[in-house]
Amino acid sequence: MNPALRKLVRKAAPDGADIDALLRDLDFPLVDGTDVTFVFRGKADAVYLRCWIAGLDTAQPFQALAGTDLWATTIELPKGSRIEYKFEVASNGNKELILDPLNDVVARDPFGANSVCQAAGYERPEWTLHDPLAREGSLQNQKFESSVFEEPREIEVYLPATFRENRRYPLLVVHDGVDYLRYADLKIVLDNLIHRLEIPPMIVALIQSPDRLKEYAGDNRHARFLVEDLLPFMNDAFPLTDSPAARCIMGASFGGVAALHAAWRYPEHFGSLLLQSGSFAFSDIGRHRRGPVFDPVVRFMNEFREHPGRPADRIFMSCGMYESLIYENRSLVPHLQSKGVDLRFEEARDAHNWENWRDRLRIGLSWLLPGPAWMVYE
Amino acid sequence: MNPEAPLRLLLGPQRPVVNFDSALARSGIGDGPIGVISAAWQEAEGDIDGMQRLVKNPLSDLLLYQKAEELFVADTRLHEAYRQRQERLKEQQRLYKLRLRQLMIAARATLRAEGERAVVAAERRHAISQLRALDMHHLRQVDKIHARFDSAFNIGCNAPLAEHTAALAEALSRFDSLLITGGNVVVLMNRLRLFGLGSQLQRKNIIAWSAGAMVLCDRIVLFHDRMPQGRRDAEIMCRGLGLVPGIVLLPDARGRLGSRDSLRVSLFDRRFSPATSVTLDNGSYLLFEGETLQDTEAARRMTRNGKFKRVRAA
Repeated sequence: MNPALRKLVRKAAPDGADIDALLRDLDFPLVDGTDVTFVFRGKADAVYLRCWIAGLDTAQPFQALAGTDLWATTIELPKGSRIEYKFEVASNGNKELILDPLNDVVARDPFGANSVCQAAGYERPEWTLHDPLAREGSLQNQKFESSVFEEPREIEVYLPATFRENRRYPLLVVHDGVDYLRYADLKIVLDNLIHRLEIPPMIVALIQSPDRLKEYAGDNRHARFLVEDLLPFMNDAFPLTDSPAARCIMGASFGGVAALHAAWRYPEHFGSLLLQSGSFAFSDIGRHRRGPVFDPVVRFMNEFREHPGRPADRIFMSCGMYESLIYENRSLVPHLQSKGVDLRFEEARDAHNWENWRDRLRIGLSWLLPGPAWMVYE
Repeated sequence: MNPEAPLRLLLGPQRPVVNFDSALARSGIGDGPIGVISAAWQEAEGDIDGMQRLVKNPLSDLLLYQKAEELFVADTRLHEAYRQRQERLKEQQRLYKLRLRQLMIAARATLRAEGERAVVAAERRHAISQLRALDMHHLRQVDKIHARFDSAFNIGCNAPLAEHTAALAEALSRFDSLLITGGNVVVLMNRLRLFGLGSQLQRKNIIAWSAGAMVLCDRIVLFHDRMPQGRRDAEIMCRGLGLVPGIVLLPDARGRLGSRDSLRVSLFDRRFSPATSVTLDNGSYLLFEGETLQDTEAARRMTRNGKFKRVRAA
C-alpha cells in the first residue's frame, strides 16, 4: 500500500479533514514503483477495479479501509505500462461502472470514456500533442458513389499543410479513420511528424464503414471497394504517386483484418501495411471461441495462414501485451517473415485501445513511409 | 574582393536565432548585391522576403530548383535518365549502408576492446582503415554513376541543358557573392551538379548555412542519431564542391548527434580523419578567407578521444 495511505489508515481515528488533505495532495492512482493503488471514496457495498487486461482478473476487489469511507486495491504494473479502467461500485443491489473520480486522465473511445492509469515510466509522447510550430494540414469531406456497395460513401481526406497541386504524394488509407482522428489524435500526429520530416507530406483517406464488424471482417466487397472505388476516386481527385510503394493501408482491430485482407486479395496494389492489434483470430482445429462476429475473420485467417502469399513488401504490426490478441499477432509474425515480407513487430505494455494505437503511430508510419529528415539540414 | 581568396562564411541553422545577417555584416563581404541559391527549399524556393528584410545587400534568387523543373518538362528524355540515375544512386546507397553497418559494428567493438595494447591498437587501425576503404569505394561508385549520366547529358550534346546552364552562368556573373540556404542537401547538390555550377562558385564569396555549407566541403556526410527508428550510422552521400577542403561539416549537431557517446564521437573523428569534423549549431559560424580560417564563433570540432573542442582561428 502507498505509504501516505498506510499512515492515514494507521492513525487512531482519521477524520474527514485528514482524508480530504490526502486526496488533495496526492495524484491518483498512487504509483509506487511497480505497485499501483487505486482509491475510491464513498459509501458502497463493494467496489471493483475493472480493467479488461488479459492475464488479470476482470474484476479486482477493493478493500474497505477501516475507520474511513475509503476503498483501495493495489495491483502490480510493470514499468512503462498504461491501462484503461473503470470502477464498479455495488450499492443497494445495484452495480454501476464509473470513471475514477480522483483521476482526471481519461481516454475516450466510440463507447464512451475510461480512466487511464499511467504506470511508472509511461509518458505520453510529446509528438502526440499539439505543436504550435507544426503547420496544420486540412481535412475535407468527400463523397463518391461506390459501385461495390451501390450507395454513396463519405470519407475525410487529410491534405498536408504544404499541399500543392503540382506535386505527387503518397497515399495512406486509414480504416476507422474518423475514430483515429477523434480518439488517437491522428491529425495532430500527422501534422507533427510531417513538420519534423519524419514522414513525407502525404494524402490520407480516412474511411469509416457504416457496418465495420461485417465489412472489415474479411469481406471481399470491402477489398473491392478499396481497389475499385476508393483508389480510382482518390487518383482522380488528388495528385498521388502512382506506385504501390507509395500506397499504405492501415487499421486497428477489425480494421487491421480489413487492411490485411484487402492487400491479400489485391497483392499488387499496396506496398505497405500498418496493422495495429489486428483481430487475427484463427483456429488450428475445432471451433474458435470468440463469438459469431469472428466467424468470417477466422475463415479468412485460416485461409490466409494456409496461403499467405505476399500481401505487401513491408508490414508494421503492433499489439498490446495486455490484450488477448497478442497471441494471434505474435503467431502471425514468423508466418509473414517466412514469405519474405520485411516485417517489424512492436509490442507495448498497453491493451486494445486507441491511445495504444496512437502511441505506436510514429514508429510505424516513419518506418513504412520514411520522411526526408535524414537529408534535410535546415 | 580578392578572387584568389574569396570569403566563405559558413553558418549553422538559422533557427531559432538568425545570425547570418550579423555574421555577414562582420565578414567584410560588403553591401553589394547577393545571388541566392535556395534550391534546398524545393517548392518554397525564392521565398526570401524575410531574409531581405535583415540585410542591406539586394538579394536575388537564382531559382535553380524551378529552372531544373522547367528543364525536366522541356526534355523528358533527360528527366527520365535523371530519375534512373537517382534510382541507381539510391540502390548504391542501400548497398553501402548494408556493408557499412557490419564494419561499424566491428570498429565500435575494437574501440571498446581491452587487452594487449599493441595488439588492440593494430586491430583498431585496421578496422578504421576498412571503414575508410568502404567510404572511398562508395564515393568511386557514386562518381561512376554520375559520370555515366554526365557523358550522356551535357551541354555539348543537350540543347535545353546548354540553354539553361548558359542563362544561369550569365545570372551568376552579375554577383560577386552568393548566399546558399539550408534545406534538402541531396536536392541542392543535384541541382548544383546538373547545371555544373561548381567551377563558377569557386571565385565567389559565399555565405552558406547548414545544407548550403555542407555542399561546399569535399564530402557530404549525412548523419542523424535521433531518427524515429533509432541511431543510423553516418553515411557519405557524395563528393561536395570541394570549396572548403579538409572539413566535414555537421550542422545542428546538438539536435542530431548523440554527442555524449564519446566512443561514437571518437569513431566519427577517426573515420573521417585527416578531415576535421566540425559542428555548426545555431548561432555558430566559420569565416574562411580562401582556405584560411579567419574567424569563428561557437563551432566545435570532434577529437580522437571522443570529446569536442572549440574551433579557433589561426
